[in-house]
Amino acid sequence: MSATEEQTSGASLAPPEPAGFGVVLASVGEPFLFVGRELAAMAHVLWLTVFYAFRRPVRWSEVWRQAFEIGNRSLVFIAVVLGFLGMILIYQSGFQAQRIVGDLQLLGALYLQMLFREFGPTITALMLATRVGTGIAAEIGSMVVTEQVDALRMNNADPVHYLVVPRFIASVLMTLVLSTLAIVVSFISGMWTAKMMFGVNPGTFYNTSFIIWGDLIIFGMKSLAYGIAVPIIAAEAGLSAFGGSEGVGWATTKSVVNASLAITFLDFLLSGFGYVFLFS
Amino acid sequence: MIEVAGITKLHGREVVLDDVSLTVGAGTQLALIGPGGAGKSLLIKIMAALVRPERGTVHVNGEDMLALNDVELARARASMGMLFQNYALFDFMTVEENIAFPLRQAGKLGEGEITERVAELLHQVDLPGIQKQYPRELSGGMKKRVTFARAVIHEPPLLFYDDPTAGLDPVTSSKIFILLDRMKRERGVTSVVITHDILGVRDICDEFVLLNHGRVVFRGTRDEIESSEVRFVQQFWRGESDE
Repeated sequence: MSATEEQTSGASLAPPEPAGFGVVLASVGEPFLFVGRELAAMAHVLWLTVFYAFRRPVRWSEVWRQAFEIGNRSLVFIAVVLGFLGMILIYQSGFQAQRIVGDLQLLGALYLQMLFREFGPTITALMLATRVGTGIAAEIGSMVVTEQVDALRMNNADPVHYLVVPRFIASVLMTLVLSTLAIVVSFISGMWTAKMMFGVNPGTFYNTSFIIWGDLIIFGMKSLAYGIAVPIIAAEAGLSAFGGSEGVGWATTKSVVNASLAITFLDFLLSGFGYVFLFS
Repeated sequence: MIEVAGITKLHGREVVLDDVSLTVGAGTQLALIGPGGAGKSLLIKIMAALVRPERGTVHVNGEDMLALNDVELARARASMGMLFQNYALFDFMTVEENIAFPLRQAGKLGEGEITERVAELLHQVDLPGIQKQYPRELSGGMKKRVTFARAVIHEPPLLFYDDPTAGLDPVTSSKIFILLDRMKRERGVTSVVITHDILGVRDICDEFVLLNHGRVVFRGTRDEIESSEVRFVQQFWRGESDE
């Protein structure tokens, strides 16, 4: 083998720096391109996850382990937050209702409807985005920066199939379970507050007459949508991590910001859908 | 046999690998050397199709790695092993599960045989009886040897070693190089070794490729590199600085 002292240079493929008016166009277009790329990356992870969930064997032992991590370990956090939120909401709304109409007979019925339509699934999902989503992003992100994801790929294990699918299934199941629990806890704490602060009898407070099928459907749709969105957004953030610990930090921040935005946006869309097709 | 031709890779606007071409013949142990940030780790990841370049081709045993679909890539990678720079041991698995991972993924051997082979390999790397420990309980040198065991357990004919002795004491480094040499002599594997330890590899590698700023600046045998008159090559080989 002969020695090669100097190899000919390859032409640079780097895109040219924008100049003149191009700088203005680039600065306007860049955020849109960024959002477009992010959405495309999330859609790609979602597509692969659904594909692998149905087309390849699922590691059920890992699904149950993740369900324990997402469900059982979030139980106290969700119960405490939703419990206090129930007390605050009933105190504030009861206080205002007393001043305006002076009748609190329908307080429990309206509160239960609001829990099903809005607070139960949405607040639970926001809590899960902070506790579970960041956990997923940090775990997968640290696996990326320590080359564990490359090691998976070298050994015929697709990271989406191996890491994301179990978390995805567990999240979909547990978001529904935790949202239901959140409604129960929040309603009981609201009932207790109504009794202590306004003297509303629990029998009067427990009124399900305002709950219609549409409320249950929208509750299920929101829980499902959030249960899908949080792990997918978190996994995409983790898989796109780079560098070292700074990259993992960036991935967790990206995960919680994107998941919160997605939950708010989905809430808006599904609430709109509910008011147009289910509640009218 | 590995053939890479015209590989160019960008990070943003920065050219990380610039028109890199090289060939690793069957049964050859090639040392990829160069300063930090020269693009060595990136190059072997491109060889294994873990990273896609902006331009260029990679052929492994005649197969165009960049044109393969997922199933074909999995089959091609089954004939490769990689020792990663950062160990890349799965935190949530025991040593036994880590080492057995390639075999379990391949699904060709029974559990009894896998357990036996793991024990045998751990004995070869002087780490008997640590099957039930987790990576967090191991020292850097132990992790490297466990990573080595995982890379070779499925007896791949092609191996990539990314800085196998980084951060290790001289005795452990020496043990690692003995293992690398044994893989080449006893199994005839084709391998690419990234290292900064020139003394360690100069006797066990057949060819040396020096990368600098993403470009191949020298390629040749030990005799050729030692007789090179290029100042940078001399300095790097001898570990000399300008001052």
